Amino acid sequence: MIDQIAPFVSQGAGSPLAVSTATRAPHLASPAHSQAADFGTVLGKLITDSADVLRAAESNAVRGIMGEASVQEVVESVLAAEQTLQAAIAIRDKVTAAYLELSHMAI
Amino acid sequence: MIDPLQVSLKIAASGLEAQSKRVRIVSENLANAQSTGNTPGADPYTRKTISFETEVDRITGANLVRVESIDFDRSPYRIEHDPGHPAADASGYVKLPNVNMLVEMADMREANRSYEANLQVIKQAREMLSMTIDLLRNS
Repeated sequence: MIDQIAPFVSQGAGSPLAVSTATRAPHLASPAHSQAADFGTVLGKLITDSADVLRAAESNAVRGIMGEASVQEVVESVLAAEQTLQAAIAIRDKVTAAYLELSHMAI
Repeated sequence: MIDPLQVSLKIAASGLEAQSKRVRIVSENLANAQSTGNTPGADPYTRKTISFETEVDRITGANLVRVESIDFDRSPYRIEHDPGHPAADASGYVKLPNVNMLVEMADMREANRSYEANLQVIKQAREMLSMTIDLLRNS
Protein backbone atom coordinates (compact mmCIF):
# COMPACT_ATOMS: atom_id res chain seq x y z
CA MET A 1 0.00 0.00 0.00
CA ILE A 2 2.74 2.39 0.91
CA ASP A 3 4.47 2.56 -2.46
CA GLN A 4 1.15 3.28 -4.07
CA ILE A 5 0.59 6.31 -1.92
CA ALA A 6 4.02 7.55 -2.90
CA PRO A 7 3.09 8.85 -6.37
CA PHE A 8 0.25 10.76 -4.79
CA VAL A 9 2.44 12.46 -2.23
CA SER A 10 5.27 13.16 -4.63
CA GLN A 11 2.78 14.56 -7.12
CA GLY A 12 0.90 16.55 -4.54
CA ALA A 13 3.67 17.89 -2.36
CA GLY A 14 6.91 17.01 -4.12
CA SER A 15 8.16 15.57 -0.86
CA PRO A 16 11.47 13.70 -0.76
CA LEU A 17 9.95 11.55 1.96
CA ALA A 18 7.91 9.75 -0.67
CA VAL A 19 11.00 8.63 -2.56
CA SER A 20 12.85 7.35 0.48
CA THR A 21 9.89 5.33 1.77
CA ALA A 22 9.08 4.01 -1.66
CA THR A 23 12.51 2.39 -1.96
CA ARG A 24 12.14 0.35 1.18
CA ALA A 25 8.48 -0.35 0.77
CA PRO A 26 8.22 -3.33 -1.67
CA HIS A 27 8.55 -6.13 0.86
CA LEU A 28 5.93 -4.45 3.03
CA ALA A 29 3.54 -3.91 0.19
CA SER A 30 3.76 -7.23 -1.66
CA PRO A 31 0.78 -9.04 -0.02
CA ALA A 32 -1.85 -6.52 -1.01
CA HIS A 33 -0.16 -5.51 -4.23
CA SER A 34 -2.96 -5.83 -6.81
CA GLN A 35 -5.50 -4.08 -4.62
CA ALA A 36 -3.07 -1.31 -3.70
CA ALA A 37 -2.23 -0.65 -7.35
CA ASP A 38 -5.86 0.28 -7.86
CA PHE A 39 -5.67 2.69 -4.99
CA GLY A 40 -2.70 4.41 -6.61
CA THR A 41 -4.42 4.81 -9.95
CA VAL A 42 -7.55 6.06 -8.23
CA LEU A 43 -5.53 8.70 -6.42
CA GLY A 44 -3.79 9.64 -9.65
CA LYS A 45 -7.10 10.04 -11.41
CA LEU A 46 -8.41 12.05 -8.48
CA ILE A 47 -5.53 14.46 -8.84
CA THR A 48 -5.92 14.91 -12.59
CA ASP A 49 -9.65 15.41 -12.08
CA SER A 50 -9.09 18.06 -9.43
CA ALA A 51 -6.55 19.79 -11.63
CA ASP A 52 -9.15 19.85 -14.41
CA VAL A 53 -11.75 21.35 -12.07
CA LEU A 54 -9.32 24.04 -10.94
CA ARG A 55 -8.36 24.84 -14.52
CA ALA A 56 -12.01 25.06 -15.58
CA ALA A 57 -12.73 27.42 -12.68
CA GLU A 58 -9.81 29.59 -13.66
CA SER A 59 -10.85 29.90 -17.30
CA ASN A 60 -14.46 30.49 -16.27
CA ALA A 61 -13.38 33.26 -13.91
CA VAL A 62 -11.44 34.91 -16.71
CA ARG A 63 -14.40 34.60 -19.05
CA GLY A 64 -16.56 36.13 -16.32
CA ILE A 65 -14.28 39.12 -16.03
CA MET A 66 -14.39 39.57 -19.79
CA GLY A 67 -18.19 39.45 -19.61
CA GLU A 68 -18.58 36.20 -21.56
CA ALA A 69 -19.82 34.03 -18.69
CA SER A 70 -22.65 34.74 -16.28
CA VAL A 71 -21.97 35.43 -12.62
CA GLN A 72 -23.80 32.23 -11.72
CA GLU A 73 -21.51 30.15 -13.93
CA VAL A 74 -18.39 31.71 -12.45
CA VAL A 75 -19.58 31.25 -8.88
CA GLU A 76 -20.58 27.65 -9.55
CA SER A 77 -17.24 26.66 -11.01
CA VAL A 78 -15.22 28.57 -8.41
CA LEU A 79 -17.22 26.90 -5.62
CA ALA A 80 -16.55 23.51 -7.21
CA ALA A 81 -12.86 24.37 -7.37
CA GLU A 82 -12.88 25.45 -3.74
CA GLN A 83 -14.43 22.16 -2.62
CA THR A 84 -12.00 20.15 -4.72
CA LEU A 85 -9.02 22.03 -3.40
CA GLN A 86 -10.17 21.64 0.20
CA ALA A 87 -10.67 17.91 -0.27
CA ALA A 88 -7.32 17.49 -2.00
CA ILE A 89 -5.49 19.40 0.73
CA ALA A 90 -7.23 17.44 3.46
CA ILE A 91 -6.34 14.14 1.82
CA ARG A 92 -2.76 15.22 1.24
CA ASP A 93 -2.43 16.27 4.87
CA LYS A 94 -3.78 12.92 5.99
CA VAL A 95 -1.38 11.00 3.78
CA THR A 96 1.64 13.06 4.80
CA ALA A 97 0.65 12.62 8.42
CA ALA A 98 0.59 8.88 7.86
CA TYR A 99 4.13 9.02 6.44
CA LEU A 100 5.37 11.06 9.38
CA GLU A 101 3.75 8.57 11.72
CA LEU A 102 5.69 5.80 9.97
CA SER A 103 8.97 7.64 10.18
CA HIS A 104 8.50 8.06 13.94
CA MET A 105 7.97 4.36 14.35
CA ALA A 106 10.58 2.69 16.55
CA ILE A 107 12.56 0.04 14.70
CA MET B 1 -19.77 14.12 -9.99
CA ILE B 2 -22.26 11.55 -8.69
CA ASP B 3 -21.95 13.02 -5.20
CA PRO B 4 -25.55 14.09 -4.38
CA LEU B 5 -24.36 17.33 -2.80
CA GLN B 6 -22.37 18.26 -5.88
CA VAL B 7 -25.42 17.44 -7.97
CA SER B 8 -27.58 19.69 -5.77
CA LEU B 9 -25.12 22.49 -6.39
CA LYS B 10 -25.49 21.96 -10.11
CA ILE B 11 -29.28 21.85 -9.96
CA ALA B 12 -29.44 25.00 -7.86
CA ALA B 13 -27.11 26.71 -10.33
CA SER B 14 -29.50 25.87 -13.16
CA GLY B 15 -32.30 27.36 -11.05
CA LEU B 16 -30.31 30.56 -10.62
CA GLU B 17 -29.76 30.72 -14.36
CA ALA B 18 -33.46 30.24 -15.11
CA GLN B 19 -34.63 32.80 -12.57
CA SER B 20 -32.15 35.38 -13.77
CA LYS B 21 -33.50 34.98 -17.30
CA ARG B 22 -36.97 35.48 -15.86
CA VAL B 23 -35.91 38.73 -14.23
CA ARG B 24 -34.51 39.78 -17.57
CA ILE B 25 -37.86 39.26 -19.26
CA VAL B 26 -39.65 41.14 -16.47
CA SER B 27 -37.29 44.05 -16.86
CA GLU B 28 -37.88 44.12 -20.62
CA ASN B 29 -41.62 44.19 -20.04
CA LEU B 30 -41.37 46.92 -17.42
CA ALA B 31 -39.01 49.06 -19.45
CA ASN B 32 -41.27 48.82 -22.50
CA ALA B 33 -44.55 49.36 -20.63
CA GLN B 34 -45.06 52.61 -22.54
CA SER B 35 -43.47 51.71 -25.87
CA THR B 36 -45.90 52.33 -28.70
CA GLY B 37 -45.50 52.06 -32.44
CA ASN B 38 -44.76 55.21 -34.43
CA THR B 39 -46.87 54.77 -37.53
CA PRO B 40 -50.67 55.15 -37.48
CA GLY B 41 -52.37 52.01 -36.15
CA ALA B 42 -49.03 50.25 -35.51
CA ASP B 43 -48.80 47.56 -32.84
CA PRO B 44 -47.02 48.54 -29.64
CA TYR B 45 -44.57 46.43 -27.64
CA THR B 46 -46.04 43.01 -26.90
CA ARG B 47 -45.54 41.62 -23.43
CA LYS B 48 -43.14 38.66 -23.31
CA THR B 49 -43.73 35.55 -21.25
CA ILE B 50 -41.25 32.94 -20.16
CA SER B 51 -41.83 29.27 -19.38
CA PHE B 52 -39.57 26.68 -17.81
CA GLU B 53 -39.15 22.98 -18.35
CA THR B 54 -37.28 20.08 -16.83
CA GLU B 55 -34.05 19.01 -18.43
CA VAL B 56 -32.41 15.72 -17.49
CA ASP B 57 -28.68 16.03 -17.08
CA ARG B 58 -27.07 13.12 -18.94
CA ILE B 59 -24.06 12.70 -16.67
CA THR B 60 -25.79 12.82 -13.30
CA GLY B 61 -29.41 12.00 -14.17
CA ALA B 62 -30.49 15.07 -12.24
CA ASN B 63 -33.54 17.07 -13.22
CA LEU B 64 -32.27 20.52 -14.03
CA VAL B 65 -34.44 23.44 -15.05
CA ARG B 66 -34.07 25.41 -18.23
CA VAL B 67 -36.00 28.04 -20.12
CA GLU B 68 -38.37 26.26 -22.46
CA SER B 69 -39.46 29.21 -24.54
CA ILE B 70 -39.87 32.95 -24.50
CA ASP B 71 -43.25 33.73 -25.98
CA PHE B 72 -45.52 36.68 -26.58
CA ASP B 73 -48.57 37.41 -24.48
CA ARG B 74 -51.58 37.27 -26.80
CA SER B 75 -53.93 39.28 -24.61
CA PRO B 76 -55.39 42.43 -26.22
CA TYR B 77 -53.56 45.74 -26.12
CA ARG B 78 -54.78 48.60 -24.01
CA ILE B 79 -56.56 51.25 -26.07
CA GLU B 80 -56.34 54.93 -25.31
CA HIS B 81 -57.90 57.90 -27.08
CA ASP B 82 -55.05 60.25 -28.03
CA PRO B 83 -55.52 61.74 -31.54
CA GLY B 84 -52.24 63.67 -31.37
CA HIS B 85 -50.13 60.55 -30.96
CA PRO B 86 -48.08 59.39 -33.98
CA ALA B 87 -49.43 55.86 -33.56
CA ALA B 88 -53.08 56.96 -33.38
CA ASP B 89 -55.34 55.26 -35.92
CA ALA B 90 -58.01 56.98 -38.06
CA SER B 91 -60.44 57.30 -35.14
CA GLY B 92 -57.75 58.64 -32.77
CA TYR B 93 -57.12 55.52 -30.71
CA VAL B 94 -53.59 54.45 -29.73
CA LYS B 95 -52.67 50.87 -28.87
CA LEU B 96 -50.61 50.63 -25.70
CA PRO B 97 -48.60 47.57 -24.61
CA ASN B 98 -50.49 44.80 -22.81
CA VAL B 99 -48.10 45.07 -19.88
CA ASN B 100 -49.62 45.20 -16.42
CA MET B 101 -47.09 46.73 -14.07
CA LEU B 102 -48.65 45.06 -11.04
CA VAL B 103 -48.36 41.61 -12.61
CA GLU B 104 -44.76 42.33 -13.58
CA MET B 105 -43.87 43.43 -10.06
CA ALA B 106 -45.44 40.27 -8.63
CA ASP B 107 -43.55 38.19 -11.17
CA MET B 108 -40.31 39.92 -10.29
CA ARG B 109 -40.87 39.33 -6.59
CA GLU B 110 -41.54 35.68 -7.24
CA ALA B 111 -38.38 35.35 -9.33
CA ASN B 112 -36.47 37.02 -6.52
CA ARG B 113 -37.82 34.58 -3.94
CA SER B 114 -37.04 31.63 -6.17
CA TYR B 115 -33.53 32.90 -6.69
CA GLU B 116 -33.09 33.25 -2.94
CA ALA B 117 -34.33 29.71 -2.38
CA ASN B 118 -31.79 28.37 -4.87
CA LEU B 119 -29.06 30.40 -3.23
CA GLN B 120 -29.97 28.88 0.12
CA VAL B 121 -29.67 25.41 -1.39
CA ILE B 122 -26.19 26.28 -2.63
CA LYS B 123 -25.20 27.65 0.77
CA GLN B 124 -26.50 24.62 2.58
CA ALA B 125 -24.96 22.06 0.23
CA ARG B 126 -21.63 23.87 0.34
CA GLU B 127 -21.67 23.95 4.12
CA MET B 128 -22.48 20.26 4.31
CA LEU B 129 -19.63 19.45 1.92
CA SER B 130 -17.20 21.58 3.90
CA MET B 131 -18.26 20.02 7.18
CA THR B 132 -17.67 16.57 5.75
CA ILE B 133 -14.24 17.47 4.41
CA ASP B 134 -13.42 18.98 7.79
CA LEU B 135 -13.70 15.51 9.25
CA LEU B 136 -10.38 14.73 7.55
CA ARG B 137 -8.61 17.56 9.27
CA ASN B 138 -6.90 17.10 12.59
CA SER B 139 -9.47 17.33 15.33
